[in-house]
Amino acid sequence: MMSEARGSSVKIPDDVRIVAFLCNWCSYAGADLAGVSRMQYPPNVVGIRVMCTATVSPYHVLKALQMGADGVLIAGCHIGDCHYLKGNYMTYKRYLILREILRFAGINEKRVRLEWISAAEGEKFAEVIRSFTEEVREAGLSPLRKNEVIKSEFGEKLKNAFRSLEVVK
Amino acid sequence: MSIREKARQLFAEGVDGVLAFKRTDGVCIPHLFTKTEVEEICKDVPADQRYPVAGIVRRIFLSGLAGKIGVVARGCDERALIELGKQGQIDFDLLSIIGVACSEEQARYCECSKPYPSRIDVGSRFEGISVSEKVRAVESMEGDERLAYWLAQFASCLKCMGCRNICPVCYCVECSLEDENLVRRGSVPPDWPVFHLLRAVDMASRCIDCGLCEESCPSGIPLRTLYKKATEIVKELFDYEPGADMTQRSPLGTIGDQSELPGGAFEA
Ligand code: SF4
Ligand code: SF4
Ligand code: FES
Repeated sequence: MMSEARGSSVKIPDDVRIVAFLCNWCSYAGADLAGVSRMQYPPNVVGIRVMCTATVSPYHVLKALQMGADGVLIAGCHIGDCHYLKGNYMTYKRYLILREILRFAGINEKRVRLEWISAAEGEKFAEVIRSFTEEVREAGLSPLRKNEVIKSEFGEKLKNAFRSLEVVK
Repeated sequence: MSIREKARQLFAEGVDGVLAFKRTDGVCIPHLFTKTEVEEICKDVPADQRYPVAGIVRRIFLSGLAGKIGVVARGCDERALIELGKQGQIDFDLLSIIGVACSEEQARYCECSKPYPSRIDVGSRFEGISVSEKVRAVESMEGDERLAYWLAQFASCLKCMGCRNICPVCYCVECSLEDENLVRRGSVPPDWPVFHLLRAVDMASRCIDCGLCEESCPSGIPLRTLYKKATEIVKELFDYEPGADMTQRSPLGTIGDQSELPGGAFEA
């Protein structure tokens, strides 16, 4: 939904760019709710719907950073509420490791964040997006931006790159 | 006891082959010896030549050879064999280890924390180095300095895949490093961070710190420092050490229970 809404017509040249992997069963719905209740969140987010945060490999986070994302958010069901019971255990473990590896590699680990946001927590979703955007702005534009592969519209690139993850069109 | 004597003993106990070293043109190379070849086994382990012994064992099993084999193994080789056993790549119970302790010089060069296998048949035990100066040196840099350091290092990567190919615990049939959706084809140096950190993430719960990747890298990239840190992270978070113990479960190989998640899972 979000990725469609922020199509190629929106130009965001100087602001930070954030990729948000949203679990279909909770945060994606939470994002919807945030939109429906007309809560404001910055227009610099590309949302990617996944069927569970466990499907978000650290590879995908690295790839997003590689492609010039300034921040990567993973948002899923609270521990205990994962639709696949324990999928988010893996997400959590991988995230903890990835953050530390990023730090050691000299990439500000604050660029990557994991949050648990249920379907009912539209407000929390908006708040997380807002505070994360702030945090990433503080970290500044990613030093990896020069790595950008294709110079075209950010959202388009990501959609293509993550095509394999788009379960529902 | 020499390796040859130990091999003789194992053959008497009924092993079908012994993976040891053979001198060919002055170089010691790994060879799977049968009982009749036992006199050709090098008495010692080549001091400064190391091989991905566990990777060779895995290929021996893959080739369909079913039987018991003796394996000359240093500390790191044994750790790799344990790790491969845990991951179902080899049958650890079919192996008899001929344990070799590394020299102090080797251990210092490797900054190896355990330069000996669980039982030592050859050589004498040196306790090992518990803190890696190389890792600490990178840690002591400021964030931007670290980034610049790694960028400079990885800029010389030739994407030869030597680091992956020699790694005894890399065994996937389909390698993510070759997935075009992740790493672009046809560009050298390969995309950073995706190429190298992807490997680091995977090695965090598997690397047994043999250092062969770094030794085989034609560009001299300090890969071992990166993977040492990655395993330190896993050790710190999950108290897991790859290859240390056959009964320890890998935190990324099993989902586990909520109680096993490091603290703070709820606020994350
Ligand atoms: S040190 Fe390198 S080659 Fe050895 S196990 Fe670790 S990653 Fe593999
Ligand atoms: S061995 Fe060195 S040059 Fe070759 S792919 Fe690995 S890091 Fe790059
Ligand atoms: S289904 Fe939402 S995190 Fe697993």
